Amino acid sequence: MHTLDAQTWLAEHGDYLFRVARRQLHSDELAEDAVQETLLAALSAQARYSGDASPRTWLTGILKHKIVDLIRRQVREVALPHDPDGEEAVDLLFKDDGHWAEPLRPWGNPHAEAELSQLRRVLDECADRLKPVMAQVFSLREVGGMETEEICKELNITPTNCWVLLHRARLFMRQCLELNGFSKAGAT
Amino acid sequence: MDERLRFAERMAMQFHLAMCKNCARFNSQLQEMRRLFRVETNMDETTPGLTPNARQRIKTELQKKLGS
Repeated sequence: MHTLDAQTWLAEHGDYLFRVARRQLHSDELAEDAVQETLLAALSAQARYSGDASPRTWLTGILKHKIVDLIRRQVREVALPHDPDGEEAVDLLFKDDGHWAEPLRPWGNPHAEAELSQLRRVLDECADRLKPVMAQVFSLREVGGMETEEICKELNITPTNCWVLLHRARLFMRQCLELNGFSKAGAT
Repeated sequence: MDERLRFAERMAMQFHLAMCKNCARFNSQLQEMRRLFRVETNMDETTPGLTPNARQRIKTELQKKLGS
């Protein structure tokens, strides 16, 4: 019966959990680890599963913690990158007096599902191109919806560092999205 | 975007966004980015899922844990 449950979870929710994890961890391997650890933890904790939430919701809740754990471990290993390229790229966006160097072009306002799905692909590709720690802080916030303060605390990085990472990530993402098709199509 | 501003800050922000077209645009683009990301928490079935290898590995790990 136990076997049935854990293996059923894997069969029914494995792909879903993987996609959620992949999107926040930006690495296939880490995402696989996250799924595995989630299911193992679920197995140990299944006595505590009340059945109030759907298995998927319950598993996703566990996954959320595993993702943060994995990122925390990584942050420790990588240490914060001092990133002259990143700084330069950001500097180019602004003039010395702090104003925008170039006017921002408006984005389109797509609603068609096909178009949205294309944009999401661009979104993922751009996020994958962020520097690792930056990508993860960004994704915890934007995909996972975690509070900024919580992220900084969980990852044990200073709030200042955390804000800088998040801000840089957003500037980079905006730029990347614009260059890859966001500014086309039905501009408003 | 990230935390609730105090009233004075909120007013200052509104005023700034009203004056600075680029900033207003930037702001709405960040919101749009977030919206696209989060809607997607109902994951797109077109992105790849677990590879057969990974699936098998996890299956084995689960078995091991059950056996122990």
